[in-house]
Amino acid sequence: MSEFLIRNAYVIDPLSGIKGEIMDIAIRNGRIAEEVGSNAEVIDADHCLTLPGGIDSHSHVCGTKVNFGRYMSPEDMRAGRTARKGVMHVTSGYSVPTTFGNSYRYSVMGYTTVLEGAMAPLEARHTHEEFTATPHQDMLANTLFDGNWSIMEAVREKDMKRAAAVVAWTLSAVKGFAIKLTNPGGTEAWGWGEDVHSIQDQVPHFGVTPAEIIQTMIRANELLNLPHSVHLHCNALGVPGNYRTTLDTIDLVPDLNDKRQSLYLTHLQFHSYGGSTWKDISSKSEDIARAVNNKPAVAIDMGQIMFGRTTTMTADGPMEFKLYMLHHNKWSNHDVELETGSGIIPVYYSRKSLVNCVMWAIGIELALLVKDPWRCMLSTDNPNGAPFVKYPEIIALLMSRRFRENEIALLDPRTAHYVPLPAIDRELDWYDIAVMTRAGQAKALGITGIGKGYLAPGAEADIAIYPLKPESLDPSAEYQQVMAGFGKTRYTIKRGRVVARDGDVVVEGANSTIWTRSTVPPGYDLSVDPEFMKKFEQYYTIRMSNYPVQDVYLPRGICIPTEASL
Amino acid sequence: MKFLLNTGRTIRQGSYVERKNSVAYQEEATSLCMNPVDMMNLEVEEGSQVRVESDQESVIMKVHPALWITQGEVFVCLGPYANHLVKPETHGSGMPDFKGTMVTITPTSEPLVTVADLMERCGGVRYED
Amino acid sequence: MKIDDVVCPFCGCLCDDLVVEVEGTRVVSVENGCTLANEKFMGDHRLKTPIHREGKGWKETTYDEAIRETAEILCDADRPLLYGWSGTHGEAQSIGIHLAEILGALVDNTSTVCHGPSILAIQEVGHPGCTLGQVKNRADVVIYWGTNPIDAHPRHMSRYTTFADGFFLKEAFRDRKLIVVDVRKSESANIADEFVRIQPGGDYAVLSALRAIVQGKRGIIPPSVAGVSREQLFRVADLLLSAKFGAIFFGLGLTMSRGKSKNIRNAIELTEELNRHTKFIISPMRGHWNVYGSNEVFTWITGYPYAVDFARGIAFYNPGETTSVDVLSRKECDACLVVASDPGAHFPKACAEHLARIPTVQIDPHVNATTHLSRIQIPVAVTGIDAEGTAYRMDGVPIRTRMLFRGTYPSDTAVLEQLYAIVKEIKGP
Repeated sequence: MSEFLIRNAYVIDPLSGIKGEIMDIAIRNGRIAEEVGSNAEVIDADHCLTLPGGIDSHSHVCGTKVNFGRYMSPEDMRAGRTARKGVMHVTSGYSVPTTFGNSYRYSVMGYTTVLEGAMAPLEARHTHEEFTATPHQDMLANTLFDGNWSIMEAVREKDMKRAAAVVAWTLSAVKGFAIKLTNPGGTEAWGWGEDVHSIQDQVPHFGVTPAEIIQTMIRANELLNLPHSVHLHCNALGVPGNYRTTLDTIDLVPDLNDKRQSLYLTHLQFHSYGGSTWKDISSKSEDIARAVNNKPAVAIDMGQIMFGRTTTMTADGPMEFKLYMLHHNKWSNHDVELETGSGIIPVYYSRKSLVNCVMWAIGIELALLVKDPWRCMLSTDNPNGAPFVKYPEIIALLMSRRFRENEIALLDPRTAHYVPLPAIDRELDWYDIAVMTRAGQAKALGITGIGKGYLAPGAEADIAIYPLKPESLDPSAEYQQVMAGFGKTRYTIKRGRVVARDGDVVVEGANSTIWTRSTVPPGYDLSVDPEFMKKFEQYYTIRMSNYPVQDVYLPRGICIPTEASL
Repeated sequence: MKFLLNTGRTIRQGSYVERKNSVAYQEEATSLCMNPVDMMNLEVEEGSQVRVESDQESVIMKVHPALWITQGEVFVCLGPYANHLVKPETHGSGMPDFKGTMVTITPTSEPLVTVADLMERCGGVRYED
Repeated sequence: MKIDDVVCPFCGCLCDDLVVEVEGTRVVSVENGCTLANEKFMGDHRLKTPIHREGKGWKETTYDEAIRETAEILCDADRPLLYGWSGTHGEAQSIGIHLAEILGALVDNTSTVCHGPSILAIQEVGHPGCTLGQVKNRADVVIYWGTNPIDAHPRHMSRYTTFADGFFLKEAFRDRKLIVVDVRKSESANIADEFVRIQPGGDYAVLSALRAIVQGKRGIIPPSVAGVSREQLFRVADLLLSAKFGAIFFGLGLTMSRGKSKNIRNAIELTEELNRHTKFIISPMRGHWNVYGSNEVFTWITGYPYAVDFARGIAFYNPGETTSVDVLSRKECDACLVVASDPGAHFPKACAEHLARIPTVQIDPHVNATTHLSRIQIPVAVTGIDAEGTAYRMDGVPIRTRMLFRGTYPSDTAVLEQLYAIVKEIKGP
């Protein structure tokens, strides 16, 4: 019976409709309670901004390609090393920290739940091992299906239910959370060194188009009643003029769910380019934002880039190869049989590069032009745009026009010709930020049902108390304080335990991995389907019985069961 | 005669990794493969002993003909006998010259030694089960 | 009792299609395995109990005593080295690293004398690779460079390359071209479509020549490069350029020969070059069944794949300085814990001498060369037979090894956990 009482907290809890009230929060046994007894330990929040624990809906922190990024970059490891301190292990890494590094840094920023942006089912075991070594955040895995042979065959046969059955079997086998599509069709084409360039291009040999894959998967997702929608990294990432592909993709989306979006478009900054070459690349954030504003069935995250070094890593193998040819730096690639691909290259975003300046502006523009903060979440596609420790700086930019003006003054002077940012006045407020960094994610991911993202009784006691006093702090003027404040909580509480205090993690973690299992009717059980089993007998290099992730890898797993409507 | 010593895995050596103190392992790990023409010039017969010397160390091995190795090179499977001859110098890379050690080979009548003997030469104490 | 889909814990192929028959605590038959697998599963040469040295002889001891003695040795040392790791499961490797962290020790794995140079090259130019199934299903040109799979990875060709039919290549043996590059005509070279014999130390030059040809500079190639004729170089380059999907597998022929990591860097850059014309991958033939696993675990915990030094309180990595062979030959460490490997057999003599000089403890199921250099040996269960845990195949695919029966030996994890607890107690908070 462990009880806590947080007093005098300035609470913003968007999902509960609380928009800035001084209140007490009672915690018992890891959950928010109505009240607690007089023996409860008391924390005086002293009118500090108190929010539900941060939720990152797209971050690359665990798994094969992330670890590739680490071991190929000892210079990155050296750039961010810390010594043992109390319960904290040694950490290394600046843009691709070690798992403990990620976990401590997220915790110090108040984050208690993180969705790993991409997990190849064949290598899921690796992701889960790293999840357990990221002990202060509950973890979820976006599971890659973009180049999945069984899926593409089902799409070709126009068999939506079979596609759903493949997803159900796979998510359950590898303890994944949601459907991720990265450059759908393109990752399979990359198996031959090719790519797809529009959503109507045919994937070599399989004869399906990205549009068909996306549409089938959106419907399959809803047939399975999964908590999150399809999570999409659009085709043509990074290509000048690719905003048309993005608009075409948005046009495809049906409205199939009344609780959340039917399609989540990730790191949309990278998909909002006008122009036709690197010489005339421009911002099309206005067109994209307009499309998003007019389509409630779509939600996005920013994919903001920040200047400085970082490491790009995605399942989008062909895109990473193009980047390699641009940058002539080191390049790693890892295609995964029958499933997907990946590429990793270190990059440096520079204010001296007009292209990078345009990219920087676009991310912020999207956040300011999309009217509904519930549908435009904060992200950097960590670490592709920037390491997540830059989130506080992004928050400050969104809340302060003055800060933006000062930063714009440092850019390549031609930037203003290509982007609308200087003319945008909007400043986001505390509520908007609370939505974009946690409540919106909880809703978009569909995890409010397990108590994430809000602070009403019954919810998980994941809480972040920031050293910021909204009653007396003007974020538009005091953006440096905003940046510092969001960078280090006074308290981070996870499941009712104080895990971080003023920049130090103070306990050993015991996180959970959250996954989904969709029950399908016997006719759709692929574990006895000869065509599906043949993939393992003939084409995979691992036996079907060795493929699933065994229970032992999720010591405190939380399964969200759903019933498929097949 | 001078030779370049190449070391590498063999399937026999691999089969005995869990029995490194066995006669079978000793036979494999002291098997030195040499081009038949070199053997002729050295005046040694198949299975006879040779003294293999590098800078400061020497080890007794048994020579066998192999057509697949060029003259001037010899091959021994990786293991304590071959490594007795390899210097620990890594040139700052961490990796010694396992495939780049020059040796002098002469015929001899000295007998082979066991792995335990070799380890005792290094200061160890043999364990016999 | 027959058990299907058993994972073989020997080489980097990590075959997972073995069928074994178990009777009590013995494996009596193995199907689908190679010679190495048969020996591994059916061998019965384990050390029966923990042993420790007393004077000029050996005595049996108990697990508790042996582990406590080991903890004391490690805590007394100023600069202990924890070496090996490639022959055990990931969960044990993880404890080993945490142990090194609280000891302020050096921790290193067998990559240091195997594919360490490959890692150094990857850290310079990256690694364009893929999982083995991509090769099986698509590759029409396969190159084995400085590696002899028939001896070292016996089923590699039948499971992943030359003899493995795939989705896009229904008759692999006919449709796939095999090129073998080596200094000698190995068994693998005997079945190659094209065998390229290189002078020892000549790999770098040949790789450079191929790169030049691929870049369209045939005119500058001399009549022969490192013993390889210009005609053959052109022929090989043309084979590479006309491939629909080419795969280069390389081994110790590149990592151990003159040039070491630079050889591999050149091979990777050749692969990157080829990717501008067609699809090509390159991948190292990892020797041990879980050496890649030790790289993965080392990396996600410390940031570096091998040769990590915790003496400064941070994770510090500097191959050449923090690598085991160097540390031992400089006589820099004053205690050593060897887990799941045999440096006595595989390190140069000067290193074996130092291992004998300092207190060395070995955790291993079998008596090996290192046994004679150690003060204590603690036998443990064999992962994949009477212990289970995670392994990473040579291409990064993680597979869980199975426990075929419950034996009487503790696992590496159990022993290391106990060791860790005692060390933690001795060291205090």
